[in-house]
Amino acid sequence: MTPGGTAEHGYRIARLRERLARDDIAELGIRIEERGGAFLLSGTVPTAAHRDHILRIAQEELGDTVVVRSDLMVASASAPDRPEELP
Amino acid sequence: MIRIAAVGDIHLGEDCRGLLRPAFDTLRDSADVLLLAGDLTRHGTVPEAEIVAAEVAGLPVPVVAVLGNHDYHSDQEAEVTAVLADAGVTVLEGDGTTLDIRDTRVGIAGTKGFCGGYEGRSAGEFGEPLMKEFVRYTRRCASSLRGTLEELAADGCAVRIALTHFSPVPDTLAGEPPEIYPFLGSYLLAEAVDEGGADLAVHGHAHLGVEHGMTAGGVRVRNVAQPVIDRAFAVYHLEVPLASPEPVASLARHQ
Repeated sequence: MTPGGTAEHGYRIARLRERLARDDIAELGIRIEERGGAFLLSGTVPTAAHRDHILRIAQEELGDTVVVRSDLMVASASAPDRPEELP
Repeated sequence: MIRIAAVGDIHLGEDCRGLLRPAFDTLRDSADVLLLAGDLTRHGTVPEAEIVAAEVAGLPVPVVAVLGNHDYHSDQEAEVTAVLADAGVTVLEGDGTTLDIRDTRVGIAGTKGFCGGYEGRSAGEFGEPLMKEFVRYTRRCASSLRGTLEELAADGCAVRIALTHFSPVPDTLAGEPPEIYPFLGSYLLAEAVDEGGADLAVHGHAHLGVEHGMTAGGVRVRNVAQPVIDRAFAVYHLEVPLASPEPVASLARHQ
């Protein structure tokens, strides 16, 4: 990869971050990195629909020439199974 | 012992109706109070606030909240606050509330807080008007937090909790890129907690961070952002201190 290519990837990641914040999805809390020549999205989001929406936008912004990989998780909406004791 | 349930950053959009309610309905058996640490909505709109309100309306425990930056995004924080208040939520900003739980007076001081960074790596109140106002806003939030904690002590609260959206300490940000720490919180909030005195500080905002931290003055800090705790809420069993609190404040004053 040329230095120019790396710089362009950095700007594209920045543009995706801006779009995720600006669009209806208002997502500011995930990690987007270049990893092994692909783009990796990771972090935890509230719902599966939210995750799929993020991936659709990421595919539009980045997926034309580079592989987009997802390790996004959906947060549990269950009650905790135990408390933390704070003596 | 006081049972504190807490969660932040639930980011409920209009498609999220009922998402957390089944878990919240179990609070009757597990907690004495539910704290909401901000970013309750996605864009800070009234319809989203109504979704949040429906999630917590009529719960068997008191609900105390601060708003987060997402809840300010549509410039409707007053309307969002009103919708939550109508559902019985006590929304704090620069003030506090007290609860009597099994003969123990519990005080909660709340502010959204703001950012600026941590000791030695923080924004300064210098230069352009925008930059000065950025730091002054955080300073005002911190000052209100300190003042409220002191008032709660004077009001006889045996347990005091500081509730913010932004983080008072960098400990709970581990996992976030270090370059963005200055946008995730401010040491001014921790200083206010230590000087005002508290038994627990609860915050959200840092989705990639960790749950546990502590202020320089020894106050336990918990990041309850839902992506971090990976549950509908966390529960903390806080022992009621035997002696009257405020050791850090008196220490600071006598130095």
